[in-house]
Amino acid sequence: MSETKTVEKAENKEAVAKWLALPKGSYSGLLKYEIKKEDILYKANADYDEEFRFVQNYLVLTKDRLVFICYPYGMQGEYSFGGYAGHKMGRTIEDAEPLLRMYLLSEVENLEIIREVSGGALMGKISGQETFLCRFSNSKMSEMERLCKNLEKIKKEEELKEEDILGKKKHECCPKCGTLYPDQERKICPKCMDKKSLFLRVMKYFFKYKVRLAVMFVCYVLIGALNLAWPYLSGTFLYDKVLNKDPQLVAFADSFGGKFTIILLFAVLTMVVTKLIIQGLGMLHGAMTARIVPEVVAEMKEEIFNSMGKLSISFYNSRQTGALMTRVLDDASEVTGFFVDGLPYIFTNAFTIIATCVIMFSIHPWLALAALFLLPFLTIQSYRMLPRLWTFYGKRHRASRRLNSQLNDSITGARVVKAFGQQEQELKRLGKGNRGVREAELDVMKYDNKFNALYATVENLSSFIVWGLGSAIILSGSNLEFGMLVTFAGYVTQLQGPLDFFSFVFRWMTDCLNSSQRMFEIMDAVPEVKEAVDPVRPEHINGKIELSHVTFGYEPHKPVLKDITFTVEAGQMLGIVGRSGAGKSTLVNLISRLYDPDEGFIKIDDIDVKQMGFKELRQSIAMVSQETYIFMGTVAENIAYARPDATRREIIDAARRAAAHDFICKMPQGYDTIIGSAGRSLSGGEKQRISMARAILANPRILILDEATSAVDTETELAIQESLEQLVQGRTTLSIAHRLSTLRNADRLIVVDDGKITEEGTHAELIEKKGTYFKLMELQTKALAMRGLE
Amino acid sequence: MEEFENSNLLDIEEFDEEKMKAESADLLELRFLTKENAEFKRTKGGFVSLTYADKTYDRVNVYRTFPVSEPDAYISIREADEKAREIGVVEHLDKLEKDQAEMLREQLKLRYFTPEITKVIDIKTEYGYGYFNVVTNFGACRFTIHNGGGAVVSLTDTRIMITDLDGNRFEIPDITKLSAGERKKLDLFI
Repeated sequence: MSETKTVEKAENKEAVAKWLALPKGSYSGLLKYEIKKEDILYKANADYDEEFRFVQNYLVLTKDRLVFICYPYGMQGEYSFGGYAGHKMGRTIEDAEPLLRMYLLSEVENLEIIREVSGGALMGKISGQETFLCRFSNSKMSEMERLCKNLEKIKKEEELKEEDILGKKKHECCPKCGTLYPDQERKICPKCMDKKSLFLRVMKYFFKYKVRLAVMFVCYVLIGALNLAWPYLSGTFLYDKVLNKDPQLVAFADSFGGKFTIILLFAVLTMVVTKLIIQGLGMLHGAMTARIVPEVVAEMKEEIFNSMGKLSISFYNSRQTGALMTRVLDDASEVTGFFVDGLPYIFTNAFTIIATCVIMFSIHPWLALAALFLLPFLTIQSYRMLPRLWTFYGKRHRASRRLNSQLNDSITGARVVKAFGQQEQELKRLGKGNRGVREAELDVMKYDNKFNALYATVENLSSFIVWGLGSAIILSGSNLEFGMLVTFAGYVTQLQGPLDFFSFVFRWMTDCLNSSQRMFEIMDAVPEVKEAVDPVRPEHINGKIELSHVTFGYEPHKPVLKDITFTVEAGQMLGIVGRSGAGKSTLVNLISRLYDPDEGFIKIDDIDVKQMGFKELRQSIAMVSQETYIFMGTVAENIAYARPDATRREIIDAARRAAAHDFICKMPQGYDTIIGSAGRSLSGGEKQRISMARAILANPRILILDEATSAVDTETELAIQESLEQLVQGRTTLSIAHRLSTLRNADRLIVVDDGKITEEGTHAELIEKKGTYFKLMELQTKALAMRGLE
Repeated sequence: MEEFENSNLLDIEEFDEEKMKAESADLLELRFLTKENAEFKRTKGGFVSLTYADKTYDRVNVYRTFPVSEPDAYISIREADEKAREIGVVEHLDKLEKDQAEMLREQLKLRYFTPEITKVIDIKTEYGYGYFNVVTNFGACRFTIHNGGGAVVSLTDTRIMITDLDGNRFEIPDITKLSAGERKKLDLFI
């Protein structure tokens, strides 16, 4: 462990040195002012000059000076913004002597960034005068922000840390090849990923179905072989042997009675049977595929769901839910699809191509050469044309998606459209989208036609060549016969499918490996919040909560909660007040261990929550939050979510206490009503009451109310309030509320602002203090009075 | 429950009913800055100051309200602090004194600076990114965009705006002026 840390440290030091490096000429310029390389504490790059031309200027901070290093425009070559494996300038300015402008830090009051639309300007208050210093693009925004902050730090004589200098990296590239990571959160380079191990890992899913796989493989081989035999049967065999009355064959037929029609019948039968066998094998293979694919897909999905369930909540926050869904649904199918429909054909098609070529050359080398020379050209050309076809498909997809959303827009907004009498305009808008789709469709068709034309041309040309040349050879009386020529032409046609296949299969393979990589990544993700190896499993929890110096942030160095310390005795109620974004919800999430604090600890009944078993911890805490979630199922199932074994009586009791019984009874199906995404839709207040009932039924030792009554009307709130008062009895309760009247019964209150506790005490104490709480209280009483609500 | 959401918006530290009322009245009124009632001046530091209604603002921000369709009209003049409260609106730059209008134009030019792409040398797409190699009116440069997802926006039928990974903006004022080959390269993004 310590070893990796020292390595990391050395790496960081190197990175800092790299960051601070300047062109050589700058150092010699700075030396004239007795500034040595070691004196440079921070450097930022300004990439525009005053007239927005791309330049490479620097701002340097030392202990007591701010230096602006300026290279006039024209010395640098082409400019690269972020993304091209970092920032680079074409021509070097390494040895050139820059112009320097110096400011004493004692004169610089502060630095400020004026944000513009596509960049910014740095302004300094220097000797009392707001002075423009330099311009830069948005690419340099974050390092300029650090410059402003670091100036403050240096003025306060604080030492700059590594992260102050390096900041947070964005747009990271693969260190091996410099490709930008397609997904910045997953630092995986599609060019350099370990394709072999991925491949083997996917194969494991298929090995279970050994017998079916073997059958499939046999099918492939047989189909391939029969396909190879077909041109021979329909060409050489039919024309040269049967129709030409090959003496050997006639002699052979004589032993059966010698009738030519029988031989002919026999030949045709053979051909029909061959075709039938090919069809039959195809069906068998299809059946095998149909049986293997769904099973493998289901298995993969199940494994993904499994590991997704184990992951911490932060995983879900950092990725969009929609993207997650696509991953689970699409990746498994994509991977399996390729492995069943793509991979085997790589082998069979390669085999077909090689075998066909060998046969063709053995029949007639010169004719083979003439027939084949166009085909590589076809493969190369379609390989080059395909990406464009794909982009056209993408364009069509985007256009129709746009039209759909427009349509959706005007249908859901029909009321507004009608109310303002804007049908005409809507029609026009839709017309535009519709035309877009038409044009995109036409583009696809046009390009697709080009493709078809290309194929048809090459195919026809090859055929012409084969037939023309072949006929010439036959007429010249050489060793070629007509049937052989038919066979030959058959082989030429047969080659095109496999060749076409190879023009797209490699892209397909890359996509598939990418999908499998993504899939395995979810399967392999390690949850950030892990259960202790040997967790404490207390039989009974009283509900004392203690937070000590808790600091936490969703992103490193950006704490949302700072040094929070408080204790709630068992059975007490703590009210938490503060504006939105102050960190209240984060605070309660830490207690049920959806996240772990970065610093400090949280104890329940003097046991660190990290040591407690997940089951015990979460069974003793119930949360009613502002985001209610209703699962697909009946009302009763939803209420009994935390305790599936609850009796009907208990469920009704809980619903009554949450003031939900009445509206549930009024629904035709009562407690058996299906709710959730597909079922009956509930209002915000109804959902909230159901989740309240859920918490009441769970009967936890610790109750967390996060804006629990925000979505219900005042009357219902009063009703719920009453039941809450009962519920709160004998439980430790943490209640977050904007409506301060809800917190009247709290034993103690804390006011959270900007992640810190700013006020603490009972209601009376806080009113006495005349601080934030008092002001909020006043404001709300007034607002309520104005609206006649209280 | 609207009132509670609103109460969050209020800065409780500065809670003062009288002031609040005056402010909300201010917010409702659209004030025009004209030749007669306002005077803009250049500052030493290269910014613009404003004297309006007996008050002098040492530095003001100048925003366009219709940057695409009407760049010279309805210019919003705002305070330079974080809140950037609006002081007033200039109906049209041409209605100001010439030198003052010029000052504001300079400021607008700085704020809305966007290199115009005059030549498309090459566009490469790979793994979800588009790599552009172009010449702009401010020199040759390369930049990278996310494929799909609104990096390329059509402002009008012929005018295109491109936003790169870092949020830098580039513009093509008229795609019909590009060569057929260049348009073909761009075609994938429009």
